[in-house]
Amino acid sequence: MDERKIMANFTTFATLISLIVLVLLPTFFLISFTVTRWEDIHYEVFANPLIGDRNWQEIQRYLALSLRTAFFAVVLDLLFGVPLAYLLARKRFRGKALLEDIITLPLVIPTSGFGFATLLTWTTVSGLGGLVGQGIVEARYLIPFINVPFLILVVHVALTFPYIVRTLQARLEDLEPVFEQASRTLGASSLATFRKVVFPLSLPAIFSGGVLAFARSLGETGATMTVGSIYTTASVAIVRWVFEFKLAPASFLGCLLIVIASAVILPIEFFMQKRGISPLPEILSSFRIEGRILRGEKAVSGRTARIKDALSLGALLLVVIVPIIVVSNSVVLYWSRDPYTGRLEGGVLYQLFGPSNYFSTLSRATLVSVIVACISTYIATCMAIPLVYLIERHRFGRALRSVLRIPLIVPTSALGLSVLLLWGPGGLKLVNPGIWLIILTHIVFSVPVVVESTIATYEGLEIPLYEGAGRTLGASPYDVAESITLPMLKRGILAGVILSFTHSLGETGATFLVMGSDVTVPPLVVNMVESLAIPAALFASTYLIVLSLVLLFIFRVAVKKR
Amino acid sequence: MPDVKLVNLTKTFDKGRIIAVNHINLHVLDKEYLTLLGPSGCGKTTVLRMIAGLIEPEEGEIYIGDRLVTGVPPEDRDIGYVFQNYALFPHMDVWGNVTYGPTVKAWEEEEGVKVGREMLEMVRLYDRADAFPQELSGGMMQRVALARALAAGARLLLLDEPLGALDAKIRMELRYEIRKLVKDLGLTAVHVTHDQAEAMAISDRIAVMRKGEILQVGTPEELYMKPRHIFVAHFIGESNFLEGHISAVNKKGSVVELRGGLTVHVSDITRVRGELVVLAVRPEVFTIEKGRRAGTNSMHGHIERFRFEGTNIRYEVRLENQDLVVIVRPALMGEWFSQDEEATVGFPPNKSFVFKYPSRGLREELALE
Repeated sequence: MDERKIMANFTTFATLISLIVLVLLPTFFLISFTVTRWEDIHYEVFANPLIGDRNWQEIQRYLALSLRTAFFAVVLDLLFGVPLAYLLARKRFRGKALLEDIITLPLVIPTSGFGFATLLTWTTVSGLGGLVGQGIVEARYLIPFINVPFLILVVHVALTFPYIVRTLQARLEDLEPVFEQASRTLGASSLATFRKVVFPLSLPAIFSGGVLAFARSLGETGATMTVGSIYTTASVAIVRWVFEFKLAPASFLGCLLIVIASAVILPIEFFMQKRGISPLPEILSSFRIEGRILRGEKAVSGRTARIKDALSLGALLLVVIVPIIVVSNSVVLYWSRDPYTGRLEGGVLYQLFGPSNYFSTLSRATLVSVIVACISTYIATCMAIPLVYLIERHRFGRALRSVLRIPLIVPTSALGLSVLLLWGPGGLKLVNPGIWLIILTHIVFSVPVVVESTIATYEGLEIPLYEGAGRTLGASPYDVAESITLPMLKRGILAGVILSFTHSLGETGATFLVMGSDVTVPPLVVNMVESLAIPAALFASTYLIVLSLVLLFIFRVAVKKR
Repeated sequence: MPDVKLVNLTKTFDKGRIIAVNHINLHVLDKEYLTLLGPSGCGKTTVLRMIAGLIEPEEGEIYIGDRLVTGVPPEDRDIGYVFQNYALFPHMDVWGNVTYGPTVKAWEEEEGVKVGREMLEMVRLYDRADAFPQELSGGMMQRVALARALAAGARLLLLDEPLGALDAKIRMELRYEIRKLVKDLGLTAVHVTHDQAEAMAISDRIAVMRKGEILQVGTPEELYMKPRHIFVAHFIGESNFLEGHISAVNKKGSVVELRGGLTVHVSDITRVRGELVVLAVRPEVFTIEKGRRAGTNSMHGHIERFRFEGTNIRYEVRLENQDLVVIVRPALMGEWFSQDEEATVGFPPNKSFVFKYPSRGLREELALE
């Protein structure tokens, strides 16, 4: 009996220690680094004798662009994502499973490859430009008024809207349609029903989806680097500065990003968790325009239903599907030679197997990527399962869960920098940039991914009930865990494993900073684009996308509802 | 004003594989309280939801007060719908829920306040106006749901198992309260339930449904006294079913030969000689006496089992031909019988119903699912 207790305590202790060392320490180290090295940073950023506070001005500019982009990306996500979530949660139609797959795709797609596909689609004649004979937009096209580069916004919307759709869809599926039906029978039109019943009841989900999307946009690096042209967001700036060995402004910017992300996101999370559902203040009725709004809603309800669905679906196709088609099509076009100049040197084959021999680079990068993804996912899963138990059973569980959300919202390049400074040559000098440092970095975000996915399953299944049943039938706590809990959680764990694996496979921003000479595939794509090896980039992007499609298929099978 | 006509109404699910409602016709009169009664899965709720416009029929028409409502969304049908699990909006208090209809219909504010107050006073919950639904008991929530449906000004009230989730005692109280409200306000009501006692107590007329079809429509007395379908005899009240064939028919009645050559007289003369029939006799119609006695329709047997149920005593009597009949007698009248005691049972010829033997077998015909 006592032995068991010692084991239990030991497991708890080991889990918590590894959590702190492997996940939390790297997340927060950058902040302490900035504080302890404040003098250096102040000198470099604010008072450099040569350039004065130019770095500080740049930091402000990059941050402003990042925040603007994230804000407008979330606005567009909501605009297109809410109707899609509603459609998926409430309607049955042919092709629904396919639509769900398309929406999951951006979560598993390697961002740098996808960014390149988007770049092709909008700026070249291989893409949509083929329809009009020239690129639709220039790579540096800035949307007027909101001052956000078009391509960056497009790619951020494509990569972030699944967070809104999936969280909101899950909430709407839990929300019984009977409330909407009640509202309709009481005389409210479908739009009024949405505004007065569905929206307030799903507000927490809209907020947490929005928060995730915002954080993802803030931290997006891989795709942004490929489509960025002359523009630099804060996450990209960190990568650039580290490469220029300007560690001081990079770490200061990273620290600011972590602080901003936490400052924007945590209060909202906390607030929404506490608030749950309670009445919204009726702002509109106090202005006495409620009646007019209701009549307007009534007039357009019904008529708009199809238009908004069609618009959302169209936007989805344009930002997610078209780039993938364009990039795969281009690989075919460029296979043996450049289709426009006819030069063999411009073909995929020449670049892969010619003098530059990108093929062997790519093979090596694939090997590194797969090893990293396997090891980091394995370690993360080993940590995640006991963590789920702790979160669900322990009185500090809720706090632990909130803390675990932080690595998910910390911009990845800031995270990479933090890991580099903590373990790398500048800090503890334990690990040099290379494959092991990549693994240490990927563990940081893999643990929360697996934990979240497993907890979602845990909470949907009334596991304590079945465990209780098992105990009354004579099973010991260990038997129960082995024969009831883990098998029931299997799907959640598996889904988490696959998400974490694809996440690791596609991660660009942090990997860039810690990889040293062990290049993984996504940074390779960025390098190829930057060195203008377009056909090689085409091939590598398509290859990454196909890889993620295969993983998506496995994911689909794993989480399929019975 | 609002009568409801259903013409050839049909609804299928799963691409036509499941026929939920099969060409039904029904006329709910103005100011009538009509109940759709049937076992679960018989399509009664589907009918109600089609009247409300929550689902659209595949075929057939619905008229509410002479208006064809095909394609009219629920909010324009002027109905009140009371849901089984109340469906009170959890993010609004009682007052917000009850005045939701007036608000979204953009009535004048004073009018909405007045109606909301009236309705809440009617269901005796005005003092709980600022409570949230989750703070109320089940009975209170259902009263709020009722007030909410009525406050929207509907003349047609649709109730979907409104009492299903409540405790037995509360259910009894609330069903009279609902009926009184409907009658006081002069509304038309369509009520869906699977509880036949509730249907009998509350309705002007009952439509008994099974597997998407209406078997019989009538007042509670008609359904009880003159069931026209063997399933109705089984579902409304209780019946003993005895299998046999007609051995003779004359002007006054027929003779039915049961299993084992036992013969009984019935006053039904609609069957022909030799026809296979099922005789339905209600448990409370039987007489029961001690020992072996002779008389009309006397049958001998012994008490196989008995149960004291409070108001009644319930005997199961094994007849000499091995048929089993259930007999219910008031507990405070007559003598009591004990286990295995010999008894003579009988029933008056005019208190039995004779049905053609169902082609697919008696058990299947009476099955609830």
